[in-house]
Amino acid sequence: MLKLLREVLRTGEATIPYPFQPVEVMPGFRGKPHHDPEQCVACGACAIACPPNALTMTTDFDQGFQTWNLFMGRCIYCGRCEEVCPTGAITLSPDFELSVMNKQDLFEQADYKLAACHRCGKYFAPVKEIEYARSILRQSGLPETLKTNACTLLDFCPECKRKNDVGKMVNLYQEKNDVTR
Amino acid sequence: MLRDSVTSLAVAEHSKYAIHEDPSAGKLKGALLKDIHRSVYVYRVDCGGCNGCEIEIFAALTPLFDVERFGIKVVSSPRHADILVYTGSMTRSMRVPALRAYHAAPDPKICVAYGACGCSGGIFHDLYCVWGGADKFIPIDVYIPGCPPTPAATIYGFAIGLGLLGQKLKATHHVQGEDERAAPAHSQIPYLLRVQIERESRRMAGYLYGKQIAERFLTIMEQNPNQVKEGMQAYLDKQADPRLAEIMNRLTAISDGFKGAA
Repeated sequence: MLKLLREVLRTGEATIPYPFQPVEVMPGFRGKPHHDPEQCVACGACAIACPPNALTMTTDFDQGFQTWNLFMGRCIYCGRCEEVCPTGAITLSPDFELSVMNKQDLFEQADYKLAACHRCGKYFAPVKEIEYARSILRQSGLPETLKTNACTLLDFCPECKRKNDVGKMVNLYQEKNDVTR
Repeated sequence: MLRDSVTSLAVAEHSKYAIHEDPSAGKLKGALLKDIHRSVYVYRVDCGGCNGCEIEIFAALTPLFDVERFGIKVVSSPRHADILVYTGSMTRSMRVPALRAYHAAPDPKICVAYGACGCSGGIFHDLYCVWGGADKFIPIDVYIPGCPPTPAATIYGFAIGLGLLGQKLKATHHVQGEDERAAPAHSQIPYLLRVQIERESRRMAGYLYGKQIAERFLTIMEQNPNQVKEGMQAYLDKQADPRLAEIMNRLTAISDGFKGAA
């Protein structure tokens, strides 16, 4: 009996006093994905990577908006979004206190503007994504002429770029073979 | 178009089966919360889970977390229960047992959707054989997300359900501001070099540690632009980790060999 008591006293209290005191989580704990909406470029890589479709992107081509949605109730905390994020906008925080009374509070949204093509005027990509591509091109170390060329091409939608390329190729072909004469 | 109509059909189907709480039971629930927040009995309904959630619920019962100090006790019959915990993504064949448990529990009762599957169907949400969450036909009071929720998250969820703690998470809606720009990381370092370093580091150490190691390497590079090798050596001497040294030396070799895009 005494031996047991001594053992009990030696061991002390094992119970963690949570929720009266904050509980420490292990380093590398994967909790709530923290989204920094300023750093996000709305590229949609996370929505493609997300296995349970907790992250989704919806595009409104009429209004020119791209919406990033996170449904916390579906997230499995795998960290694939953090893995693929090119700008480091998503990181898994150690926050685990996510319970809610109201399901609506599990949703997180961010709206991003779409850029219109300079030639045809159709919406084609988020403004921030294009700006990000431009700033990366600037620091890429490419020769100046290539850089300016690429930067101007950023303002056109894929279809207009294709048309532009085809037009150029036709011109080249005509010059080479002198078809017009 | 077809997909839309199928989805709306499914929603209609769900709402047809949804049961609604008696308004008088809702009033009683307030009284229940006031009176019983000393001792509540919990009944677990496993509606097609992977057992991860069950393991975490039982982990919450162990001496380390010990939910019984709040009087929370797991019982083996829904007739004794004040709280029903629904885990699992609610498979088709578990609908009737789930409803039987719901009706067997005396009013007023608190229903908890536990885990990602219980909240919304989780990773199984679009399977043909699941309803996708307990809230499709059972009135849920508390959602505890997590895959699985840790024992601490479980305690927090129950504390919210019993009105002991306040809810932290709120719905947010960000709208892009006027001059909002995403800043590229490490603007001093040529982009193509950064990509090469990040790729190699990730190849050698995996995505998580690879990212951290590449980040440290690039920071050291930015701090000592002219003596990368010396800065790196000082750092590696402090860490004394041969695995890290191997990776860092590879990265240094890449940055030495980098000639630029031209």
